[in-house]
Amino acid sequence: MSEPITRRKILVDYRIRAAICENCGRVYFPPKSFCNVEGRKSKMRPADHFYEKGTFFSGNVIRGPTKKFSYLQSFLSGIIHFQNDDLKVPGRITDYVPPPEEVDVSEFIGRAVVPRFRKTYTDGASGLIYYSSLNFSFEDDYYPFQEYGQIKPSTSESENKGKPGIVGYGVYLPKFRIKNEGSGVLGVMERTLPFADEDTTTFAVEAGKRALIHSAIDSRYVKKCFVGSESAPYAVNPSMSTVSQVLELGEKYEDGFFSGGIDSQFACKAATDLFVDAAALVAYPTFGGDYVMVIGADNSQAAAGDPLDYAVGAGGAAFIFGKRDVIATLDCYVPYTSDTPDFYRREGEEYPRHGGRFTGIPAYFKHVGTAMRAALKMCDLTPNDIQYVVNHSPNAKFPYQVAVEAGFDRAQIEPGLVVKYIGNLYSGSCPTALAAVLDIAEPGDKILMTSYGSGAGSEAYLFTVTDEIEKKRGRSITVKEQIENPHKQYVDYGTYRRWKESG
Amino acid sequence: MKTKKKLKPLAAVVGAGRTKFGELWYNNPEELMTEAGIKAVESVERGLMRNDLQACYFGSFLYQVTNKLALVPGYMARELGMNIPMNHTEAACGSGGSALYNACLGIRSGEYDVVLVGGFEKMTDRSGKIIDDLMFAGDPHEFDAGYTFAGLYASMMARYIHDYGDGSNGRCREALALVTCKNHHHAIGNKYAQFRREFSVDDVFNSPLVADPIRMLHCSPVSDGAVALVVVSPEVAKKYTDTPIYIVGSQQATDDISICSRESLTGIKATRLAMEKVLKETSMTMADIHVAEVHDCFTIEEILFLEDSGFCKRGEGWKIVYDSYESFKGSKHIPYVNGDSALVVNAGGGLKADGHPVGATGVRQVYECFKQLRGEAGGNQVDKELNVALCHNIGGTGGIATVHILVRDL
Repeated sequence: MSEPITRRKILVDYRIRAAICENCGRVYFPPKSFCNVEGRKSKMRPADHFYEKGTFFSGNVIRGPTKKFSYLQSFLSGIIHFQNDDLKVPGRITDYVPPPEEVDVSEFIGRAVVPRFRKTYTDGASGLIYYSSLNFSFEDDYYPFQEYGQIKPSTSESENKGKPGIVGYGVYLPKFRIKNEGSGVLGVMERTLPFADEDTTTFAVEAGKRALIHSAIDSRYVKKCFVGSESAPYAVNPSMSTVSQVLELGEKYEDGFFSGGIDSQFACKAATDLFVDAAALVAYPTFGGDYVMVIGADNSQAAAGDPLDYAVGAGGAAFIFGKRDVIATLDCYVPYTSDTPDFYRREGEEYPRHGGRFTGIPAYFKHVGTAMRAALKMCDLTPNDIQYVVNHSPNAKFPYQVAVEAGFDRAQIEPGLVVKYIGNLYSGSCPTALAAVLDIAEPGDKILMTSYGSGAGSEAYLFTVTDEIEKKRGRSITVKEQIENPHKQYVDYGTYRRWKESG
Repeated sequence: MKTKKKLKPLAAVVGAGRTKFGELWYNNPEELMTEAGIKAVESVERGLMRNDLQACYFGSFLYQVTNKLALVPGYMARELGMNIPMNHTEAACGSGGSALYNACLGIRSGEYDVVLVGGFEKMTDRSGKIIDDLMFAGDPHEFDAGYTFAGLYASMMARYIHDYGDGSNGRCREALALVTCKNHHHAIGNKYAQFRREFSVDDVFNSPLVADPIRMLHCSPVSDGAVALVVVSPEVAKKYTDTPIYIVGSQQATDDISICSRESLTGIKATRLAMEKVLKETSMTMADIHVAEVHDCFTIEEILFLEDSGFCKRGEGWKIVYDSYESFKGSKHIPYVNGDSALVVNAGGGLKADGHPVGATGVRQVYECFKQLRGEAGGNQVDKELNVALCHNIGGTGGIATVHILVRDL
């Protein structure tokens, strides 16, 4: 597909955009400029269905796909009915692997489905990657439906004295998991992995979508978006612009948005390092925006058979920073950096290399330990003043040990140790652990979060939870819910590698 | 056996020729068209010279894709060695029927008296890529949802089973397999057919899944082939033969290319509209039709036709198929029976067994009716007197439908 065709399709496919006749209510997909019934009297307006749920009207299991879809082998395609607009669209059911025997498709008819932003296919290894929201999963399966309701922000900044912080967050963990044998590898019992049509950009979109739903802010007021990752699908061509287009971040103008941002890279701290920048921006009058979104997401890379291959996971988390309706203020920031080559990947190489045990004491422990101690000292706090400590989690052993060495106990550490159940999400690791803690934190709690990025650096943040957190609880899908979701599905090692490399 | 109607012929078929359908590895598409064209011209009883042709109408779907060739008129001008006007119609699987529809318009306009209508396709030249190519006849969003052509029809079939087969105790699904059994049974005596062998219901149910609920034996095959007709104005028809087959109805209708945007998944609106028009044009009902060539690209489509054409009520097509098959006592053609009406459908095996070189199919249907109405179908001749035939050719999943009614004795 050519680049111009792709751009035109993006405008329709990312939001499931249709055209609705304001006179008679008829809806057309793909959108068209006039109503078949009203003719020249038509008054058409766009109507998108990105946040709506539909139902499975009919479909089939494709056993012999077209070449573009051969990477999925067999899958369920469906005609999806959006009842509100009486609109039917073609869609593919994702996160579903048909059994080899005949599937009775009629059993799916009438089941509610939720749009998902996924890859459709790619033009080989060097061509464009095509995405669409015309992919759906069953509402009663792993991915529930959530309404995106926008609540007008409070006009007062007095509650937190105008101090910036986290307004909302969202975590996306894929449905599929692989178990580590026995008692796990360095405490990692099981890990998330992408379905064949997922990658870092789709994780970022889903996490960002959940953050918008959780914060209930109007996406128009998000003026900047950062996506931190070390597994971006493109070497050049940002995931951030895809996220902004799908989530419509910033004031819309023609078919673009008055918003900015970048993709960032600093191994596993590509996202967390920008938390302070996000907070600074919303407090900087010249910025002129209300919110900044920071996403950390990765399809964490590891060569087959490498020890890393038994610790890596997949997924991401998004945080929205602002000054109003803040759920946790950002109170302290301590970065610490040195040129320590413990883990790296050269341009064009598929998998990272690392220095084995050198990644431990001289790298992770030195940087994380230094930053977290410096933060406590700067804030004049002791570990007893902190309710939760969250550290970057390459495995379950390192973050625990470094925290214990700094004087924290198991009760403070354990809630953030979600790596045991999801694996190392690289850029998404620390943000996801922070989200897991925010899921349970009470107003007044203090959270010390310290990230780590190979190469190497750490930054420690101190957050204080506000009363606002209680108001937003019902709008999140907690990390625990995703970890314990009864619909999660385990795969074997061969499937894990195939899907992971597809992403 | 004259009809009781007062029919005004639009055009007449005086000659017809075709190639065998199948995997024709050793011929390029132009050669197939030439073979069919020569046979059609040479079949005209009182002789027709190539130079008598005033225009040509060709239909093919994937010529540009399968053979990387465009400008069909230029290639066909080279094959024929003529410089007459030539039109090429692309309407996916409905290309052939559309070419004939256009030819009828040319004759009805008074511009031409003698034209050649040809349909051809060379699908096996793309072997592994044809599944993708066929989706050119689908909406791009259907392609992006992973649909194949079988998948689109499977969605129609799944919804049909859901809406009308519930409580049928499996008989609806069996009827969808019986269409296969019937059409393969009909092809036994057709020397040009791609598959001349019987299949049982168990064979269908045990064939590989293609797009659940569609299995391989619910599908028409990938085929090569070409067919040609000599079509003339009614006024000159007797100059070429004593038994012209008159075209008394020629109609076409269209619908949204996407099955999602249609009024119904369990009916083809374009078929319904074209049928309404052609029956009105000829003042006929389905009870007047003796034999019909129906577009059975997938078996569900043959059942939908029975309902879209008005042969039976909506949702009862599968019952007609099931009951007709169950009650049939003979050994040759199995008619669909509804009350006093008995309709032989796809006497030569249809797309399912005769083969489906997509652009050739609409013309092949007329070839079959031409032979049947003239009593020239040989070992495959229907064992009853025939005078009225209907051809139903659709493109894609119903984006276009063309129907023709042919009569031997006016």
